Amino acid sequence: MPVRGSIGAVVLATVIVTTIAAARAHDETKYPDWSGQWLRTGGIQWDPTKPIGRGQQAPLTPEYQAIFEASLADQAVGGAGNDARYSCLPVGMPRLMSVIFPMEFIFTPKTTYILFENNMPRRIYTDGRSWPDHPEPTFAGYSIGKWIDADADGRYDVLEVETRHMKGPRTYEGSGLPLHKDNQTIVKERIYLDKTNPDILYDEITTIDHALTRPWTVTKKFRREHNPTWFENDCSEDNHHLAIGKEHYFLSGDGYLMPAKKGQAPPDLRYFNQSKK
Amino acid sequence: MRRQLTAVVSFAFVATNGAVLAHHSFAMFDQENPIELEGVVQEFKFTSPHSFIILAVKQQDGSTQLWSLEGAAPSALVRDGWSSKTLKPGDELKLTIGPLRSGAPGGSWSVSKTKLKDGQPILVSQ
Repeated sequence: MPVRGSIGAVVLATVIVTTIAAARAHDETKYPDWSGQWLRTGGIQWDPTKPIGRGQQAPLTPEYQAIFEASLADQAVGGAGNDARYSCLPVGMPRLMSVIFPMEFIFTPKTTYILFENNMPRRIYTDGRSWPDHPEPTFAGYSIGKWIDADADGRYDVLEVETRHMKGPRTYEGSGLPLHKDNQTIVKERIYLDKTNPDILYDEITTIDHALTRPWTVTKKFRREHNPTWFENDCSEDNHHLAIGKEHYFLSGDGYLMPAKKGQAPPDLRYFNQSKK
Repeated sequence: MRRQLTAVVSFAFVATNGAVLAHHSFAMFDQENPIELEGVVQEFKFTSPHSFIILAVKQQDGSTQLWSLEGAAPSALVRDGWSSKTLKPGDELKLTIGPLRSGAPGGSWSVSKTKLKDGQPILVSQ
């Protein structure tokens, strides 16, 4: 009996040690408290310090400034311009970080997730991996992050992220401010809490893109909501905007197509059997 | 069936402008040249991505025209004290809207520019 008792004690001790080790594998005390719901503090424009549209003073190349102007002109007469979000196309990066609707961070040892009320989540891999060779591009891109202990207090306080391998079309904001169609965008972020107010979070976002004459950095500011409510917000539920061909239409109150632009022609019905008069 | 909303004065709330909170461009609505509309709610669509008021507006010839009015997302409306039950079929409203640039019966609506037909504010809870 003493032998059995010893074996049992060893097994129990092993179980206890293993459990403790597993708990230490994800030491939450090493991460900052970014829990809860985060809401944007500015408007829906990309650079929150400037007005939407031309007021953004985006450093676009002449070619892409012309594309942007054409988008604004189309919107001025009721079209959607370059802003494909009206048809529920994912906004992708970097526009996801405008956080039109609230977001939430989830930390795991190898991945940081950003959940959005009205978009697919972002995955930021923090496991030290290298860039994959030929990943399938996505609107949100492939993100690799690194936690930094900037003030050397034993706790991470900055998340540095780089995102590549996006697909398009993508714009920065609803005005249709465009990114390059080659989708070679690189987005770099530094995300951190305000040093004096733990309920304020900053995201310094630098976009490197061939539609720009130089890297473009904006800082987004978010506030923590201590009494959050989460909603289901799915663009496909009841969207009244339709993209048919290259045209944007609007649904009437009784479910029929209406023009969005003055003098807009109806859609091409070439695939419908139409009686000849 | 008409339902007369009680003219209880609501508390102060943050004015919700659909254009400010839209996840896409609202440029198809002419916010610079708004128009007044009066009508009866046929349907209040408290749905994603944007709420809709389907408003039956009486025409001069006695016929009724349905207007499709797009507003803020339900999650934004809730933060202003609205719910799916704030408006009901039969409610009589007076609104200032941004009309569709095409001239078709559609436009954008906002909380701050929507009242009962008699001018009283909409009853909300918070």
